[in-house]
Parts: sequence; C-alpha cells; structure tokens
Amino acid sequence: MTPNGAIAFGLLVIAAAIAARDLVSLAVVLALLTVFALASRRSIVSALLWSAGIMLPLAAFMALVWVGIVGRAPHEIAAGTEGSRAAAAAYVTVVCTRLFVIALAVQALFLHFAAWTPLGFVRALTAPPVARKLLVLTLSLIETILHAVDRARTALIAGGIVTRQFSWRNLRHGWILVQTVWLIVVVIAIGRTRDKWPIEATLSRLDTALGASAPRLAAADIGWGAAGLACLIAAIGLR
Amino acid sequence: MGEFIAGPSFSGRSAALMERLKVLAPAFFVGPYAEGALSGLSSTVADEIAIYRAPARVHTEFAPLDFAAFAARKPPTLSGGEQVLLALHCFSLSDYGVIGIDTALEQLDPANRDRALAYLSQGDFTAALIDNRLDRPPGWSTQECSGGPAFACDLAAATRDLKPRAAPAIAIENLSFNYPGGRDIFRNASVSLEPAQTYRLIGPNGAGKTTLFKLLAGVLAPASGTIALNGARYAPWREGNRIFALAAQNPDHQWCGATLGEDVARRRRALARYDEITVPGQATLAALAALLGVGSLDQHLYELPLVARKRLSWLWPLSGALPWIMLDEPTIGQDRTMRAALAGAISRLAALGHGVVFITHDDEFAATIAHRALRVADGTVT
Repeated sequence: MTPNGAIAFGLLVIAAAIAARDLVSLAVVLALLTVFALASRRSIVSALLWSAGIMLPLAAFMALVWVGIVGRAPHEIAAGTEGSRAAAAAYVTVVCTRLFVIALAVQALFLHFAAWTPLGFVRALTAPPVARKLLVLTLSLIETILHAVDRARTALIAGGIVTRQFSWRNLRHGWILVQTVWLIVVVIAIGRTRDKWPIEATLSRLDTALGASAPRLAAADIGWGAAGLACLIAAIGLR
Repeated sequence: MGEFIAGPSFSGRSAALMERLKVLAPAFFVGPYAEGALSGLSSTVADEIAIYRAPARVHTEFAPLDFAAFAARKPPTLSGGEQVLLALHCFSLSDYGVIGIDTALEQLDPANRDRALAYLSQGDFTAALIDNRLDRPPGWSTQECSGGPAFACDLAAATRDLKPRAAPAIAIENLSFNYPGGRDIFRNASVSLEPAQTYRLIGPNGAGKTTLFKLLAGVLAPASGTIALNGARYAPWREGNRIFALAAQNPDHQWCGATLGEDVARRRRALARYDEITVPGQATLAALAALLGVGSLDQHLYELPLVARKRLSWLWPLSGALPWIMLDEPTIGQDRTMRAALAGAISRLAALGHGVVFITHDDEFAATIAHRALRVADGTVT
C-alpha cells in the first residue's frame, strides 16, 4: 500500500463515519476499519486503547450533560417532544462512536506505515514539492518542540524547580516549563537559521532527498479504496 | 587539505571559521552542540542520513558506529559524541567539498577522535577545524587568531572563600535503566561514591555516562535499583534534586530562565525549601558570576558567546551550595589556561569536602586532577 492510497482510504472512512447517522452504519464502518488495521499485521491493541482514550473524556462529558442534565436528545428538543434519557444516551453513543472511528482511522494509518521513516512517507506522497517540503518542516518543528520539552524538563529538574514525577511544585511551576520550552524552541530555530542552514544550504538538500520517484498507487490501494467508497455509499444510503 | 584555526578563547576563531565557510559555501558545518551538528529536518537517524546522502559517492565513507542500529532513534536523543559522529558520517556520504568543525571533536572519546582526525586529514576535501586540544595538526595550514581579553574569568578567586562541606556518601545499588525501546544502559550496576573524592567517568561515546548523571539528578528514573545518601534512601526523581549541582555538557540544557537573574532567583527559591542547604544570597551569586566573566544579573544568557555560557554553567557547582558537583565535559571550548584553572577549582572543591564527579574525554585535563576513574561500559560502572 502507498501513502497516497492509505490517505485516500482514511479520508473515505472518515467521511463515512461523519455521514453515518446510526449505530448500524457506524458498525459497518468500524468493521471495515478493524479489518484494515489487522491487515497491517501489527497488534491493534494500542490503537484501540489510544482511540478509546481520546473518546472517553468526551463520552463522560456528553453523558453528564445530555443524559444526566438535559435528559433528552437534540432531535427531540428540536421537535418539541417530551423525549427520554434513553434517546439521549443513544445520541451520545452515536457521537462518541463516530469520534472513536475517526481516531481509529488515524491510528490504523499509522499502523500500516509504522516501519516507514517520516521522510520516506513524505517522499512517497503525491503532492507539489513545496507542500512536501512544508510537511517535512512541520514535522521537524514538532520534533523541535518535543526536544525542547525534554531539554526544559532536564534543566528544571536538575535545578530542583520541578520533579520528574507528579508533585505540587510541578503544578505551581508549570508556567516556567512552558516559558522555558518556548525559549528553547526559539533559540534552536535561531541557531539553525543563523549558522548551519545558510552555510550548508541545508533546505535545498530536501530537493534531492524528496525527489526520488515512488509509485503513485499500488494494487492494494485500489482494493481498499473501493471498500472505503462502498462503505461511504452504504453509510449515506442507510441514513 | 586541512585548515586549522588557532588561538585562545574569544579570539574570534568561530567568526573566522564562519567567514571562511561563507567564502567556500556551500560547506558542511558541525557546530559544538546539537543545533550545529544536526540538520534539524529529520525525525530519525535514517532520515538524517537520507537528507545528506548524495546520489553518487564522492568521499570515502566514515562510519565509526553501526548507524543501522540507530536508524529509528531520534537524532537529538543520541549522546553528544554520537551526534558528532553521525554528522561526520553524513558529511562522508554527501557531495560537499568542504567541512567546517567548531570544537565538536572535543566531545569524542579518544579512539573516535583519532579516527575522525585521520579522516579529516586524508585530503580529498577541505576541512577547517577549531579544536582546543590540538596545537598544529601536521600537514595542516594554520590561521592564527588573536583577540583582546573578554569575559575575564578568575576561578581561583571564585573558590577562595568557600567553606568546608561534609558531603554525604552515595551508594548506588543494582541500578538498571534503559531508554524506551532501547538497549540496557545499566544492568544491576552498583557503585559507591565517597565524599571529598573526585571521580572521573570514562567510557566510549554512548556508554551511559551522561545518563548516570541524569539518574542521580532525578531527570530520569531507574527501572530498578536504589540510591542511598549516608545509608538513607534517596529518590530524586520523586523528591527533587537537593544534592547535585550539575553543569551540563551543553550549557543551554541547564538554564532555568532567560536572564542570569531569573535563573539564579528560581534556583534559589527551589533550594530554599531544604533545611540542610544554605542558599547563597543573590549578591553572593552575582559576585561569583562576575568572577566567571558575567558582570550583570540582567545579562540574557543566550546572548553570551557559547564559551562564556559554558563558564557560567559552573556557577552553581562553584557556589558550594550543594554537596556534590557533577561536571559533564566541562572543558569543551575552553582554552588551555582555563582548563588548568578549572582543574585547580575542582581540586579545591574536593579538598573542602565536596564530592565531585566529572566526565571528560580530555586526558590531559584529567591528568592534572587527583581522581579515581570509573568505567561506564556494558551496563556496569566499575
């Protein structure tokens, strides 16, 4: 499977999840997605847990508001009917399942390309060179921020200002961590753009590194794309 | 073809190197720390190599490490020496005709340093080098830099008025640690550190020397094992660091504020919670900073030259506030005069009762300090 095909499949599945209006449609989408994730031949347990972890806070909040406080589903309020908590619970379940499916779609895509390096993934994408360069720069900025978090924590823990594990002083001094992280990000960016990048013309290296040709689509892309499209049509048709 | 840029600290060597590289550009650059050694465009070692790899081989390949084993690692998580070796490897695969190195080879262990110098001397490309531990590499041309004194630093005066200190004995028992997804750095490692002693951690690049510092300072938590101070259990990753004054290999890994005053004030407040620590006053620390070459607490730390920042990183170790001193490659970027002065300051701290642990690949510097060597290798400390 190529990154192009995977992204197209992911978009189709996400569109199907958004179009689905009931649990049956969402179950169809979820079933297809589970097969797709299993096809990566990697354990999908962590993908399921991550997706559940993303969905659960929303589920708790919506259950509290719609089932606990409001006691009616939005369509019942719009229709001016008395409504029930069961209908509210069904509404919350559909919304949260939809979020779960979307999160799982992203996780499943990651599973398929877990062995690829970010540069290899971007290189195989069919996109304008400028877009691919921007993607690499965006990924590098994310890495820089993560590295800055690590550096800032090292400094503040070694300085006795915060601790590695949870402590009240971490809560009190959390703002120092945030301030230090951004200071480090700025310093790293300035360091690169002042010395290394101009001397090396480092950014122009990406022209070569991203320039290697890669197949736009593979046979598997067609199969999964057709399945995703069928799923979208089914989700719309079942409305 | 090699060009050696010689001179003392603050003589304008770095500026001269950059000017030279601008003339010869595009040129590969390896700065003293990660921002200067790595491209900053890659998320993995494999991608870092792919960015620099030229379609056709131009130079002899320099591969002192098995980089395939590091392929999935994030470049900034490599040790300082490994980052430099990765940078040299990337250069050897690239089509640059020129490489400029600003004191980065000082982070390499002796074997890798010899390999790197031999590679740079082979002559199928131009190498421009600043290095405080070399006089004149044979066969290299030399550009002499001489500048006026700046950031005058008096380490003898900085340690003159320190009071004797009774540091606790440290017992590390069965310590195990590995980075997520990585090999074991320590496997049931045990070692005792006595007060009023100086220890030098030795071992190849990537062996875990800096990791041991981070474990002792509470930056990392061990998978298993204990640390005890005079027999009492100590878990800095839970309780916070109240024992070690750390001067990091890269000074920019230790600042707790944008200005010197901010950094000092935050650390003072943090240490004030411990009864056993006598926190030096702001004025005392300002005076000490002046002796290290920085006259104002309003000084923005990142506006200082790197060599001055490195010296300022010794502020808390030299203040005597904390009983144990940890210095990670303290001589990087420092000229011979300053290295001798630092050796004297370390000896004085140990004589006053502090415990000192330092990491250096600078044998000449280490030979001037009475110390016990601890070898970090294969998961143990011996």
